[in-house]
Amino acid sequence: MKSHISIQNLNAFYGDHAALRDITVEIPEKQITAIIGPSGCGKSTFLKCFNRLIDLTDGARASGKIMLGDVDVLNGSVEITDVRRRMGLLPQRPNPLPMSIYDNIAYGPRLHGTKDKKKLDQIVEKYLKIAGLWDEVKDRLKSPASKLSIGQQQRLCLARGLAVEPEIILCDEPTSALDPVSSQHIEEQLLELKKDYTIVIVTHNIHQAMRLADYVIHLYLGELVEHGPAIEVLENPKEERTRAYINGTFHTDIKIDTELNLKGNVCPYNFVYAKQALHELEKGKILKVIVDDPTAVTEVPRGMEADGHEVLRARQINKTDWEIVIRKN
Amino acid sequence: MDKLREEKIFKALMISSLAIVVGSLFIVVAVIVWNGAPALSLSMITQTSKGGYYLGKGGGILNAIVGSLYLGFGSLTLALMISLPAALALQKDYIGRTKAAYYIRLSLDVLWGTPSIVYGAFGFIIMLYLGMRASLLGGIIVLTILQLPVMIRTMEEVIKMVPVDLKEASYTLGATRFETTAGVVVRQALPGIVTAVILAFGRGIGDAASILFTAGYTDNLPRSFLDPVASLPLAVFFQLGTPFPEVQQRAYASALILLIIILALSIASRALSKRFMKNIIR
Repeated sequence: MKSHISIQNLNAFYGDHAALRDITVEIPEKQITAIIGPSGCGKSTFLKCFNRLIDLTDGARASGKIMLGDVDVLNGSVEITDVRRRMGLLPQRPNPLPMSIYDNIAYGPRLHGTKDKKKLDQIVEKYLKIAGLWDEVKDRLKSPASKLSIGQQQRLCLARGLAVEPEIILCDEPTSALDPVSSQHIEEQLLELKKDYTIVIVTHNIHQAMRLADYVIHLYLGELVEHGPAIEVLENPKEERTRAYINGTFHTDIKIDTELNLKGNVCPYNFVYAKQALHELEKGKILKVIVDDPTAVTEVPRGMEADGHEVLRARQINKTDWEIVIRKN
Repeated sequence: MDKLREEKIFKALMISSLAIVVGSLFIVVAVIVWNGAPALSLSMITQTSKGGYYLGKGGGILNAIVGSLYLGFGSLTLALMISLPAALALQKDYIGRTKAAYYIRLSLDVLWGTPSIVYGAFGFIIMLYLGMRASLLGGIIVLTILQLPVMIRTMEEVIKMVPVDLKEASYTLGATRFETTAGVVVRQALPGIVTAVILAFGRGIGDAASILFTAGYTDNLPRSFLDPVASLPLAVFFQLGTPFPEVQQRAYASALILLIIILALSIASRALSKRFMKNIIR
């Protein structure tokens, strides 16, 4: 495995809050690296450090090293526009520029000195084809990009990013705003593109990571939990926290104080029993209840939150049963 | 109180407010048209004021029309050249987050509310000091200063509305701050910028007090920037001040001409805006 980006002791802060803590990891060349982890774990911040988009956020700063070849991205004296050109970014929500489809693609190349109309025509056609959008838009290249469907807009953003000839494509949950068909389209394109590009994709969708990734990085609360080839990390994680995340549990370190089995009870009795059990607990203690009544699955957490308690998780544990974990407040 | 009554009362309130707005505007326009239209004639817009015009004799107010257009567009051009860069500089990407920006905004807001006669007096003092006479140039400069706060603050508000996503898109493609500002921000904010320009133009061309001392008044067309120049608001003022009903009617006609100029520019800018709107991201 040849490394393309080397991250050394990366720390990132928003004001006093540490969003990323001491992360050291290598991003392999011409592979798809998935960054997984729950919301708020610093995935997007991590990505924003790569092209220093984090500079645009109020009070944010990053320290450490991100080596792209022999260029340290975080070094203030580095030509950041050049670094950014070398890394395309596919955002969470497509963000076409306020211009025509054609100009959206030509915008980047024009910035970097391509003025020749013929050449621009070729570039536009080439990258729209790569992004799989050419056939849909070739007759209306002059119409506004905002008129495209959201799935088409995302492919337009992909084409636009590729048109400045980057080496790396960064994707920040690129399919989270898209319908399933458009998502699949983007995923197929990414698999195709990894022949020529290093791809880093942030995703909270574990299945997407399984479908796409060659290499996986798991972040949790700003810390690097585990990284390695996708097969190893996803199929056989070394870390308990990774295993828990993949199985759909975020709160593995919860200590359950009392457990209550309410199987066979219907609403509102299961709710009343749960309330009684919670009443006997001290503040801050944690109660786990098991229910099998479908109404209870939504109503018990809702009722508990209405009472001011905190519902830590509610999830299906087998075909019929659900567990609900509540912290008394 | 039940919801239905609440709804009805609120609706009545909104409709009566609208009625007051539309009604009062309508009365103003109606009075101007009613009094001005009969006095409007071709000679009025093709001839300058001859001797005795203000006593009811022949002539027109071409000098004031031309003067107002010169003053209006001259100051508009100058104000736009200063305002746009200033408004762009107040973006977060430049000095928007600094303490200085806060005070700049504050002083612009205060200037916005300052009566125009103060601008006129200020301009007049400076001109006296420099030994300048009342002139087209002086009028243009004072009007420009009068328009700046309106223009900068209105533009800044629309520039602030440009989504961060768009700027990020541009930056990630390797654009500099300037390229992003010129290529994306201005483009996205253009309809709003046009509105800001119209607002400021209205304030500039319709103002009498600030140019009373600085541009002066004359029956002739200006031949250079240093000649004094007539203007429509002052033409209205002087004509209304005469004791002759006939001349007073011409004042209304002059006001009507001013209204038509502003209306024409508004309509033109709206049409222009629509073309710019085509590519805007919502």
